[in-house]
Amino acid sequence: MLRNIIKILLFIMISVSYANALKKDSIKEEMTKKIDNVLVVLSKKELSTSEKGEEIIKIIDDVFDYELMARISLGKDTWGSLSKEKRKEFVKVFENKLKNSYIEKLDLYNDQEVEIISLKPYNKTRLQLETQLVGSDETYTINYNFYNKSKSNDEWFIYDIDLLGVSIIQTYRQQFSGLLKEKSFDEILTLLETSNKE
Amino acid sequence: MKKIILLLSLIVFSIAEDSFDQDFDSEFANTNVEIFDPLSGYNRLMTTFNDKVYLNVLNPTAKTYSYVMPETARKGIDNFFKNLMFPVRFTNNLLQLKFQNSAEELGRFLVNTIWGLGGFMDVAKSELNLQAHEEDFGQTLGFYGVGGGVHIVLPLLGPSNLRDIVGMSTDSYLSALSTTGSSSINYRIPNNSLEQVGIKAFDAVNIVSLKQGQYESLKKDALDLYPFLRDVYSQARKKQIEE
Repeated sequence: MLRNIIKILLFIMISVSYANALKKDSIKEEMTKKIDNVLVVLSKKELSTSEKGEEIIKIIDDVFDYELMARISLGKDTWGSLSKEKRKEFVKVFENKLKNSYIEKLDLYNDQEVEIISLKPYNKTRLQLETQLVGSDETYTINYNFYNKSKSNDEWFIYDIDLLGVSIIQTYRQQFSGLLKEKSFDEILTLLETSNKE
Repeated sequence: MKKIILLLSLIVFSIAEDSFDQDFDSEFANTNVEIFDPLSGYNRLMTTFNDKVYLNVLNPTAKTYSYVMPETARKGIDNFFKNLMFPVRFTNNLLQLKFQNSAEELGRFLVNTIWGLGGFMDVAKSELNLQAHEEDFGQTLGFYGVGGGVHIVLPLLGPSNLRDIVGMSTDSYLSALSTTGSSSINYRIPNNSLEQVGIKAFDAVNIVSLKQGQYESLKKDALDLYPFLRDVYSQARKKQIEE
């Protein structure tokens, strides 16, 4: 009896740990490596944009918590009202949108320098990684917000990016809430899917 | 026994989920608040107009211009125009009691004008690491607690709000590139409104030539362009006022 309970608990613990998350102390180092690798890929002239995109996704994919980003953007009420399948579908479409958006923006600045400034505490329990991109006309601050997904361990994921103070999740949250006043959720899902194809 | 454990863990998990959501929901702005936007009809039209002007006039002009002018020259011109806006930045930094920043702005102006070929080269940044401190009267008003007011999209100039429009007009009294107000200011460059518009248009083309692709890339995140730009503007301004 006891043995079975222990087995169940162990199973739960193992399945709940996130192998790809970052440890707090290695965030700066890991992110520096990842960003440098992304910039190297972007500078490879011989690759097509979609090939570059695939390579970049491999590098950055495991640090973003897409499900949480989708959940926050949609808002508690709407997310709560969706079925599991709809949620999964939405997360997938939203994930693609975010990836394409991020890669496109990086593509604009592949000739410039990216500097990692610091990792600071943010909003009591979170961390913010400040980076700077030195552009031809001004310097752009790009901040990555991390949260610890595990209650007991050190597993940090990105849940928001802000560029010059404009948070991507905030803009989507605002957009979705505005659209949901007039359109149904399914219409918005279709809207997202079509915009991904452009 | 097993059922009780399962039930307990489900309850604990669902409570944790719920408080988790609350945690994030409170970090981001409340979206149930109705945004007061009485000019939204006009704003939407103006956004579409500006978008078309950008895509069909400003952007192609900037592209052609960038083929003829090498990037270093365009950066130099940008530095030159930015240097000229020193009085506005300096005054607004002072008004916000940002004395360190005002001193750095003064330093930048002197170094760049004297050693930077009249402002074409930003030697203050490259040699002395003196960063610019962009402040304007709209930010000064915001610094002292003035809210943005209604969102207004200006023709060609883009998204703005009531406070920032007042800010822009006030700054133009000090600006070297405008003709507003007293003509006793000696550093004024344009002699009349036509010249002012011409200079500003050239500056705009030059700036766009350095920021090619950014607007199009920004638009890709927009599901509905006007509210998106409105939100982006208000977030960006908030950040500018805070620093």
